[in-house]
Amino acid sequence: MPNKKSLHIESSGQLCVYCGACVGVCPLNCIYLDETRITFDERICTRCEICVKACPVGAIEIG
Amino acid sequence: MVQDLKTDVLVIGAGPAGSMTAKWAAKAGARVLMIEKRQEIGSPVRCGEGMSKDWLNEVGIAPSTRWINVEVEGARIFSPSEKVLEINERHAGNEVGYVVERDAFDKQLAIDAGNAGAEILLKTAATGVIKEGGKVVGVRAKQFGEPFEIRAPVTIGADGFESQVGRWAGIPTNLALRDMDSCLQYRMTNVDCDVRYCDFYLGKVAPGGYVWIFPKADGLANVGIGVQLSQIKGMAEARQYLDAWIAKHPAYSKGKKIDVVGGGVSISPPLKQTVTDGLMLVGDAARMIDPLTGGGIANGCIAGKICGDVAARAAAAGTPSKEFFQQYEKGWRVRLEEKLYRNWLAKEKLCSLSDETFDKVVDALQGVKLEKLTVHNILKAVRDKYPEITKEFEAFI
Repeated sequence: MPNKKSLHIESSGQLCVYCGACVGVCPLNCIYLDETRITFDERICTRCEICVKACPVGAIEIG
Repeated sequence: MVQDLKTDVLVIGAGPAGSMTAKWAAKAGARVLMIEKRQEIGSPVRCGEGMSKDWLNEVGIAPSTRWINVEVEGARIFSPSEKVLEINERHAGNEVGYVVERDAFDKQLAIDAGNAGAEILLKTAATGVIKEGGKVVGVRAKQFGEPFEIRAPVTIGADGFESQVGRWAGIPTNLALRDMDSCLQYRMTNVDCDVRYCDFYLGKVAPGGYVWIFPKADGLANVGIGVQLSQIKGMAEARQYLDAWIAKHPAYSKGKKIDVVGGGVSISPPLKQTVTDGLMLVGDAARMIDPLTGGGIANGCIAGKICGDVAARAAAAGTPSKEFFQQYEKGWRVRLEEKLYRNWLAKEKLCSLSDETFDKVVDALQGVKLEKLTVHNILKAVRDKYPEITKEFEAFI
């Protein structure tokens, strides 16, 4: 995927509180919450960064 | 291997709306299966735990000390300069009520559903809907990680704020940035809270939302914040705003955190559509959260009762169609939509007020003996004291 910024969701628990705010706000429905693991579909994600804003604790970074 | 299952009514999610739907569908005679992805219903808590109480009887919930921490007398609204507007229960139209132990509350509702005859599966997550001929006929699911299918003529998406069931089925539930708050809360002990009141701090301390203090006992309170996504610029702003607010309030900065809760809350106008062939959405998944207060339990339970009844009748009649489900679509709207829309408008107006205007409105209301807290009475009080700002509200009325 050329020129796509990298997206990182810190879901090991250092920051993430597994609240699902990112899941609910993702316009493409490509983030998944599985109790204590959050994953997203690299192919679908457009790096719109809405989840970055939605995360109350700053666990999602786009660089 | 987990065996594939069949049922009449399949409920995805065992929160209050899901349990309420499952209970009333089971009471109406349907075979009901409710699935929950977590290992424990109600936990971890993702809620401020403040709740009104005038609706409990309507949906058949008996108040119990097992899940009520505190019964408050009223709410206090703090303007940006911290002028206080006290709203007692009568004025608030019973909007205020209990601070609850949400995990115990959710478990009680699941117990009610189970006792009414609903089956419950834990550690069972839906991974997609099964569609045949354009109709939802069940879900693909995983139990303890093992894939299987559950088929049902009626599927209910009660999967909360992060709902995927509706979107899998093709019901648009996406939120605009302005229609969502990012929330964070600490449960704090050793604080000076007042167990008689739920407190709300508005203005720039929480852009597009508010800071709440919901007392759980003497010295123990949920201290939380919601901020509107359209007003957020960077990362972790909910936490930064909340930490900044606590730092400025000695009654709370001396407290000790014993819990942290995050979450998203929709503050949108009601959805245009909450049903499709074979599927109904209920609760937070259907964006039924009150956009002014951010409260979702009451609306989810009220809609859940209607949903469960319609689900059972659709299953019995073999007519799980979008047309039949209009009974639910219309039923919940008659009961809830006008207020949801009115509160959405009020929220939009509140978000647009400057801190100065907000201070004036609250100041104007102080010392005024309001018989009832209506928009008309508020405007009259404001007009008497600050005629220059009344214009801001004319369009709103």
